[in-house]
Amino acid sequence: MAASPLKEEPAPEDCSLLPLVYDIIKCMDKDSPDVHQELNKLKTKIQEAREQIVTMPGIGLSPEQQKQQFENLKEQVRTKNELLQKYKSLCIFDIPKS
Amino acid sequence: EMLDPIYSCNKELIEMLALSRSQKLPQPGEESQILELLVQRDGEFQELMRIAHEQGKVHQEMQLLEKEAEKRDTDIQQLQKQLKEAEHILATAVYQAKEKLKSIEKARKGSVSSEEVIKYAHRISASNAVCAPLNWVPGDPRRPYPTDLEMRSGRLGQMSNLSTNGVNGHLPGDALAAGRLPEVLTPQYPWQSGEMSLNMLPPNHSNDFMLEPPGHNKENEDDVEVMSTDSSSSSSDSD
Repeated sequence: MAASPLKEEPAPEDCSLLPLVYDIIKCMDKDSPDVHQELNKLKTKIQEAREQIVTMPGIGLSPEQQKQQFENLKEQVRTKNELLQKYKSLCIFDIPKS
Repeated sequence: EMLDPIYSCNKELIEMLALSRSQKLPQPGEESQILELLVQRDGEFQELMRIAHEQGKVHQEMQLLEKEAEKRDTDIQQLQKQLKEAEHILATAVYQAKEKLKSIEKARKGSVSSEEVIKYAHRISASNAVCAPLNWVPGDPRRPYPTDLEMRSGRLGQMSNLSTNGVNGHLPGDALAAGRLPEVLTPQYPWQSGEMSLNMLPPNHSNDFMLEPPGHNKENEDDVEVMSTDSSSSSSDSD
């Protein structure tokens, strides 16, 4: 199934904030003036994460609810396909061979 | 919901670190606790992001399925419309066929011999009442109805000839209707005796069909037109 990606989402492993915290701690240990810069980076990353979560589709439902809905849709499509197939191939009249 | 606790943890850790640096007071216990909490929360956050990522993929598939379901709905509606149309056409056809069968049955019950119909048609047309004779040309005095000449040469005409001696040239019918004809003349003709027959046929077929005109009574006998195209047919009765 070729799904067109609506938005390029970063991989889940990129969401970790620990590397930034580590950088901050390192700067604090060194008493580096880049501490504020690192702090800003952390803040920005958290803000970006918030914005990304808001736009993520399909997270309005819990995984279980979403799975249930997905199964229902699949069943619906399958039933409709069967129904259409049945009525299109149904031949009520026996056409006599002339 | 996960980001806020992480944010709080980060803030707390950094504040604590900053304080410990400034105050030079080692507080390893609390720092490790906060660090552990931070790591734990970060792990949970990553897991949630992974689940959200998966849910996004499922959501895309669900959108495709919804589109397919909509398309199937359209197909079903189209099929339903066609089936209704076919039902209507078939119902009309069946109804018309039943009506035709009824007509056939009705015709079969009231059937007439085709030979009789053809014979009747032949006799009607033989008098040239429906079509001019093949040798008829403009100027030909013959008509598809009794002409004046034919009437006068028939019995009514003869009655008129007799009656003109006493009644100033009036037609016999007028004289009889007026009650001025001599009585000796009135009972002598077939239609006056009540056995009236409209002589539509050629002389040799005159006895095949006996018909009585509606509303026939004695006073109007002479007014009845004897339908004959041959002058010989009226004169033959007088013989």
